[in-house]
Amino acid sequence: MTARRVWGIALVLVVLTAQGIGAQSPWERVRASCTLRVGIDATYPPFGMAEGRDYSGFDVDIARGLAREMGLAPEIINASFDGVFPALQNGTFDVVISAVTITPERQQTLLFSDPYIDAGQAIAVKKGSPIRSVDDLSGRTVGVQINTTAQFAMEKRTGINIAKYNTIDLALLDLQNGRVDAVASDGPVLRYMTRMTFTALTVAGGDYTAEQFGIVLAKNADDLRRAVNAALWRLQQSGEYARIYTTWFGEQQAAQSAASSSALAFDTGLVARTWTLFLYGVRLTAIMAMSSLLLGLPIGLGLALVRVQGHRLLAVPVAVYVELVRGTPLLVQILFIYFVLPSLGVNLPAYTSGMLALTLNSAAYMSEIIRAGIQSIDTGQMEAARALGMTAWQAMRRIILPQTFRRVVPPLTNEGIALLKDSSLVSVIGLTELARTGQELASRYAAPLTIWPLVAGMYLLLTFPLTRLAEYLERRWRPVTRGTE
Amino acid sequence: MIEVTGVVKRYGAASVLNGATFTIGRAQLTTILGPSGCGKSTMLRCVNRLERFDAGTIRIGDVEVTGGVTPADDRDLVSRVREQVGLVFQNFNLFPHLTALGNVIEAPITVKRVDRAKAEEIGRYYLNRVGLSGKEQHYPAQLSGGQQQRVAIARALAMEPAVVMFDEPTSALDPKLVREVATLLRALDDLKKTLVVVSHDMEFARAISDQVIYFEGGRAVETGTAADVFERPSEPETRAFMAMLDHHADGERGRDAGAPS
Repeated sequence: MTARRVWGIALVLVVLTAQGIGAQSPWERVRASCTLRVGIDATYPPFGMAEGRDYSGFDVDIARGLAREMGLAPEIINASFDGVFPALQNGTFDVVISAVTITPERQQTLLFSDPYIDAGQAIAVKKGSPIRSVDDLSGRTVGVQINTTAQFAMEKRTGINIAKYNTIDLALLDLQNGRVDAVASDGPVLRYMTRMTFTALTVAGGDYTAEQFGIVLAKNADDLRRAVNAALWRLQQSGEYARIYTTWFGEQQAAQSAASSSALAFDTGLVARTWTLFLYGVRLTAIMAMSSLLLGLPIGLGLALVRVQGHRLLAVPVAVYVELVRGTPLLVQILFIYFVLPSLGVNLPAYTSGMLALTLNSAAYMSEIIRAGIQSIDTGQMEAARALGMTAWQAMRRIILPQTFRRVVPPLTNEGIALLKDSSLVSVIGLTELARTGQELASRYAAPLTIWPLVAGMYLLLTFPLTRLAEYLERRWRPVTRGTE
Repeated sequence: MIEVTGVVKRYGAASVLNGATFTIGRAQLTTILGPSGCGKSTMLRCVNRLERFDAGTIRIGDVEVTGGVTPADDRDLVSRVREQVGLVFQNFNLFPHLTALGNVIEAPITVKRVDRAKAEEIGRYYLNRVGLSGKEQHYPAQLSGGQQQRVAIARALAMEPAVVMFDEPTSALDPKLVREVATLLRALDDLKKTLVVVSHDMEFARAISDQVIYFEGGRAVETGTAADVFERPSEPETRAFMAMLDHHADGERGRDAGAPS
């Protein structure tokens, strides 16, 4: 009876939610909110670049221009390219403007606006390379950015080894280092990057495909698409589009701003300019890791106690939970909570999703560490406590757990440090923590050799207090474990 | 003080106790003596309720425990049993994360809700009684085996039970320490505790016991004063055991096997 009522309420909620979503069309919803939420992967010069919260690039300017024409305030949301389409589909963004090529495959699941720029595929090579066009690539290794049309194009050709990179600057750096023979990507990007920073590289031949970029919308957003197309048309008519184009692709502009930074040297000036931008990332990483540790520890302790002393009816589900968490990658858990739960009616913001995934994950690992610790305590300890009249719980709390914690400090410290570093995975759902900040700045300045050592140093600074705390605890408890005989 | 009647304990098909029946008098020191594997340690663990038993009854003071009790009745019964019976383990099982004093006052504070100051007073008294004044703040790892055993004894006494049981108190000690333990046990006479010692060490038993119970095959074979059981054993099993040990002792004459004056 009770169970049936609960199901009934759940069903009503689902129906109401579905109706709530269906009641307003996408364009009505956007207009009511007065905001256009635009998803951009800001690691792709000159289309999208980030410097802290400060975004620039061709796509960013297009997004701002469109929003103005539509009478909306633009909200730029930075996310990794892997994550932009799922986030669009679950309603985190209204549109994606992120150098997305219009392809028939993508049109099956997504909606595209009219094209807003022509951008054929091209290849970059080292100056003086024998490779003169895309037809010379047979038997060569070619670098691409994951999931881009360049990757798809290379996969269609036979005899090419493909190396996939998270960001385009890493692919170009590897080309400069001689590990790949060419890099395939969008023509405008390659021309911009080889002129600006990778001056030892050049674009071989012209564009070998004719491609067009479109603004991406969710499948059901037909009316929003009409509004976007109208705004795009007005942008072109007013001459604003031409101005934006010249800003990013005009010859003199590129030559003028060809930065002094070099991809292959440690640039102390750049460190001085960018280190404050890391503070957001450091703060987010520290907050995420610390809270999920502090929440995970008591939860893990509870789970361990249930498995050691609890009733079978509770212990079995806990064992299943631990097995599920340990048996699946953290990345998949984060994606599941953020992208799959909304279809079950649980729609959590990115920050909460990331925190939840990290907490559930650390709780499972810590429960196993603590359980092993409890079971490593000699059974005579429990017997002695019980013989003195303590209840099982008193014995656990006063005798077994204090000894357990002394033993599990080193493995718990390891878990804490691993968690702190694994927290970088939350960048897939658009959270700009420390590693993602590094990725953005490394692309923005094409200076991986400056940015990544800086990122490493900041992770070290974050883990340092943890290891010091562990050392302190071990030292403090040492007299207890020392034998004098 | 303790009446054991027809207690049976089985582990699967093997039976360890086969209708053990005996009585232990109040404020006496009784030794349960017997060869290894005769069930004497199991008997002790059944009295303290660390083990369940399958049939028979054990009466301790006014608490009666019957074999095969359901768990629901058990919980209250167990705490009433343990209120009256303290146990000193063969390998002591001290709490390594607590000092000597911490070991002794832990149970009075958590179980009997004695306030800390009062508990420390009790703890210091019993540590003094076992000769460990000045060692209150030492951790178990900083104490010798004999000192650890004394902490374990003080820990049991601090709960002020009517009965204190010792499981093989001499097995972990060298001969000199065996004599000290015997002296210590006799020195506790004024506390008027009922002391039960499980041992296979005949010399030790002879030196300390008011009453001796000879145990073999999971049963109490013979009960009597130390003099009766050692000098004039009436049962054939007891005689065989004594004869074997006499022979053994002859061979090792000169070994300091712990007879105090």
